[in-house]
Amino acid sequence: MERGEIHSRVRKVIASVLKLAEEEVTAEANFIFDLGADSMQSLELVAAFEEEFGVEMDEAAALGVQTVDGAVEFISGILSTQG
Amino acid sequence: MGRRKTREQVHGIFYPRSVAVVGTNRGRGTVPFDIFYNILKDGFQGTVYPVSPREKSVAGVKAYKYVIDIDDDLDMAVLVFPSTVAHLAMEQIGKKGIRSAIIISAGFREIGEAGMKREQEVKAIADRYGVSFIGPNCLGVINTDPECSFNASFARQMPAQGNIAFLSQSGALCTAVLDYALAKNIGFSKFVSFGNKADISEIDLLYYLKDDPKTKVILLYLEEVTEGKALMEVAREIITERGKPVLILKSGRTAEGATAAASHTGSLAGSDEVCDAAFRQAGIIRCETIEDMFNYAICMAYQPIPQGKRVAIVTNAGGPGVLATDRAVREGLTLARFSEKTTDILRKSLPHTANLSNPVDLIGDAKKDRYSAAVSSILGDDGVDGALVILTPQSMTDIPSIAEELCSIDRRFPKPLYTSFMGEADVSEGVEILQRHHVPHYPLPEDMCQAFSRACLFAELRDRDPGQPTLYDDIDTDGVDQIFAAVREEGQSLNLDQSFRLLDACRIPPLPYGLAGSEAEAAALAEEIGFPVALKVVCADVTHKSDAGGVLLSLDSTEKVRRGYQGILESVQSSVAGARVEAVLVQKMAGDGEEVIIGIKQDPSFGPVVLVGIGGIYVEILRDFAVRVAPFSRGEARAMVRSLKLFPLLSGARGREPRDVESLLTCIERVGQLARQRPEIAELDMNPLLVRTQGRGVVVADARVVLKKTFEGGYDENHHS
Repeated sequence: MERGEIHSRVRKVIASVLKLAEEEVTAEANFIFDLGADSMQSLELVAAFEEEFGVEMDEAAALGVQTVDGAVEFISGILSTQG
Repeated sequence: MGRRKTREQVHGIFYPRSVAVVGTNRGRGTVPFDIFYNILKDGFQGTVYPVSPREKSVAGVKAYKYVIDIDDDLDMAVLVFPSTVAHLAMEQIGKKGIRSAIIISAGFREIGEAGMKREQEVKAIADRYGVSFIGPNCLGVINTDPECSFNASFARQMPAQGNIAFLSQSGALCTAVLDYALAKNIGFSKFVSFGNKADISEIDLLYYLKDDPKTKVILLYLEEVTEGKALMEVAREIITERGKPVLILKSGRTAEGATAAASHTGSLAGSDEVCDAAFRQAGIIRCETIEDMFNYAICMAYQPIPQGKRVAIVTNAGGPGVLATDRAVREGLTLARFSEKTTDILRKSLPHTANLSNPVDLIGDAKKDRYSAAVSSILGDDGVDGALVILTPQSMTDIPSIAEELCSIDRRFPKPLYTSFMGEADVSEGVEILQRHHVPHYPLPEDMCQAFSRACLFAELRDRDPGQPTLYDDIDTDGVDQIFAAVREEGQSLNLDQSFRLLDACRIPPLPYGLAGSEAEAAALAEEIGFPVALKVVCADVTHKSDAGGVLLSLDSTEKVRRGYQGILESVQSSVAGARVEAVLVQKMAGDGEEVIIGIKQDPSFGPVVLVGIGGIYVEILRDFAVRVAPFSRGEARAMVRSLKLFPLLSGARGREPRDVESLLTCIERVGQLARQRPEIAELDMNPLLVRTQGRGVVVADARVVLKKTFEGGYDENHHS
């Protein structure tokens, strides 16, 4: 899957889980500091990413990802090994 | 530790005019929300702004996405974001020009290496922008001063205004303390949970409270003492310059640190013993429990400090009066003797069955009038320093009236009045009256006596002149340098000869001795010194000479010395494989003298400490010793020696000739000076030091010195004086 597509789908998932407009979900945005995710929403995001991309994530590693760009990077890495 | 904070920097933590709560949300019952809401609901006199990435408002107040979005100037930020983004928040706090912060969030040093890195990162950003902060990992800060009325904490309730300041390293303990205080009508001036103290420390807070006009008594809960010397210094200033008591509850009394010590001094003076001694030296009252801490705090905060230890006990029940008397005497208090005038008033006011002398028994059916007459006359008596009033609830006891009357008497007399209304349900109304009027109340009369005794102890420590340490200028510093240089070449421990020469250079004489490299030399030395003699192996590889068979005592002939010499070599070689025996020391046998131990150890918190003990080979069993942080005065040395339970052995008990205590004091002072000037000494034991009869001085019979593994300078400024 191309990185551009991953980025677009990641943004959609984030906007949906955090109930934000897509344009608020910028590449550098920090889930907690900029987008206001709390710990429960962070877990929801991991689950939503797994469903969206049909992959399994290591929860601790996934929760260590802090930014939108970081999530794109993380999911790309998983897709290259699992997908 | 970094530089000390200025008064203004700490003031900013207590008296902000505008505060942003950074990372708050609308989740009632969560820390980010409750912190914001507490500031709002507890009457903050300034302006508070919620900063929340997602919320338009919090508790009806317009919220901002970022702190830098707020147009107004801000004094303070309370950071409640998770630790993973605390650095981002601190960067914005700095950019906004905020100079004070409280970091509530956990997840820093306390969770390990990753957390430590986060803490350092946040601290570095704060330093770059000049932000001073409390925390992280704390409950928050409360200032009850109505001028500010600031509750930046997630405590359930804002405490009442009072004149007691409470500082705590533990956040969870704070909420328990607040609840405890609430039940007892105890108010606070400032209340601080300082958590990991990454920036503002307890020392900074203590310096601030020293000059805080709202604070009369300071309570501190500590789990570790990281800056022992600084703590002693600031406490001493608070106590002597401002007359404010400093009470510390220090947890971790178990002596895990003592187990690794090789010397007697090290094993006796564990970290907790040193803490006790250091606190006492500084004038700090150490408390055993939270209850003790508040028992002592309320009497010192609400009542005058006693001018003396003469107490009058007034009771309506004989038994509790006796219990109180027993405890008072055990606590070092004395029962006051009443003047004739007082006795006359008591005789006229009380029934003929009453006990008119101390403890005064008003008899079980006593009402307000008897309490009033007795307590008033007693407090008016010049021979009384304070009144301890006991009440038990009989059917005719008018408890609230008596409580009101005692409060009224308390206002009229400038002497301490403490109370103990025994029981719980029946006396509760009276207790509530006493507490409301700040007349100290204790459910048990024993606790009342103990509190009075601690208030007296505070007065004693406050008024004591610690004196100046004597600086002996006859130390052979070149000699000491040479010994240390030689030891550094070879290892860490001084051998017996080096240890004796070190002490000799400090003008602490060893028993006459010589070094023998052969049987013949040993025999010749013994004849020269005079029998009987002792033989001791000189070998840096042997830690405990006796255990290795390296000591023989009371040899009274040349033949025994010859055989002894060979015996020692064989024993040591078989006990310690590869031991490099340098010589055998031939020493005059000790003769008379009381055996004392004097030692030095390095405490990680307080630096060099000196120990003095008594009991010879039983010193560890008897545990009869005293410790002081160096340097200290001759007066302190005298107090150390006098505090020993076996001191009478030195002063001449049961017809014994008194020992040369003055020479012993000089020796202790010299060891104190050595400890201070030579921080490379890790441990030193003089055991035994023999204290001879008056005028005949002291001599060292055995000694052991270990240097620090690595030492990078740090000599005392008076090293070469």
